[in-house]
Amino acid sequence: MVKRQRGYTLLEIVVTLAIFGVFLLILVVLTADMRANEKRYPINYMAHPEVSSVMARMRKDIFDTKYYPSAFQTYEQSPKTLVLYTLQQTGFGETVIWDFRKAGEVRRIAFNATQQSSDWVARGVPQFSIGSFTLGSGQDAVRIKATDEQGRLAIDEIFVPRPHD
Amino acid sequence: MSKSRGFTLIEVLVALLVLTIVITTTIAMFVERHKRLKQANETILAYQALSNEAEIWRRIAFAQLDAQAPTFQSDTAILAPLAPYTSVVKVDTPRADVKSVTFSIRWSNAQRVAKLSIVRADTGGSGLW
Repeated sequence: MVKRQRGYTLLEIVVTLAIFGVFLLILVVLTADMRANEKRYPINYMAHPEVSSVMARMRKDIFDTKYYPSAFQTYEQSPKTLVLYTLQQTGFGETVIWDFRKAGEVRRIAFNATQQSSDWVARGVPQFSIGSFTLGSGQDAVRIKATDEQGRLAIDEIFVPRPHD
Repeated sequence: MSKSRGFTLIEVLVALLVLTIVITTTIAMFVERHKRLKQANETILAYQALSNEAEIWRRIAFAQLDAQAPTFQSDTAILAPLAPYTSVVKVDTPRADVKSVTFSIRWSNAQRVAKLSIVRADTGGSGLW
């Protein structure tokens, strides 16, 4: 008996390739769209626990700030160092240094009078910078910014001290 | 004698149907996740701008709230990825000694909105709110 063997017809191959091509096209379009969005949006640092801890602690410190000393011990006010005189939960004042000088690290050092009372470090954080922001009322606020590795503005928050009457 | 035969049409169609369901579901999940991530990023940016604006308006004297232009006073550079967007401030007076200030940002052809409201009370100029 003669065994008849045959391969695929041209039409079968073309249809298979067309179906495969459609899926490939969908994947390419989705990937391109995702890449475009990655370029457009900065990294969401707020989802990072270390970053949100820094922002929350800094917000509390600035909210309770009575004034901004121009310098304390070896620290001076600068875009990389923030010096505050703030209130503790006990009601007593303390001097707090927010040190952003080391890349990828934020350090909060508190002093009770001249004695260091605490030292807290957050690692794996973006490069922050400190700026001042003067309200229409003349009150000085603090503006915290951070950019991601592509230079896109990812964090830009203004913290204003509360009135102390 | 060896009897060899290919797949029947039904077998091929069922296999294709299963494959299509799997691929379509995977793509739909991917698209949905991507959309939600994008929305989350946009929301985070919008609320930073809203929070900054609230800080500024919280310190404006009660008597001067109505005289302010209904626009954002802070630098809204953080909103650049949302462009084009609109930002509006609305001051309502539910009571003579109370004002409600609402900040809103609309983007994606006004399909997406982020809002934040603060309430101001007339404390007689003590500076407290």
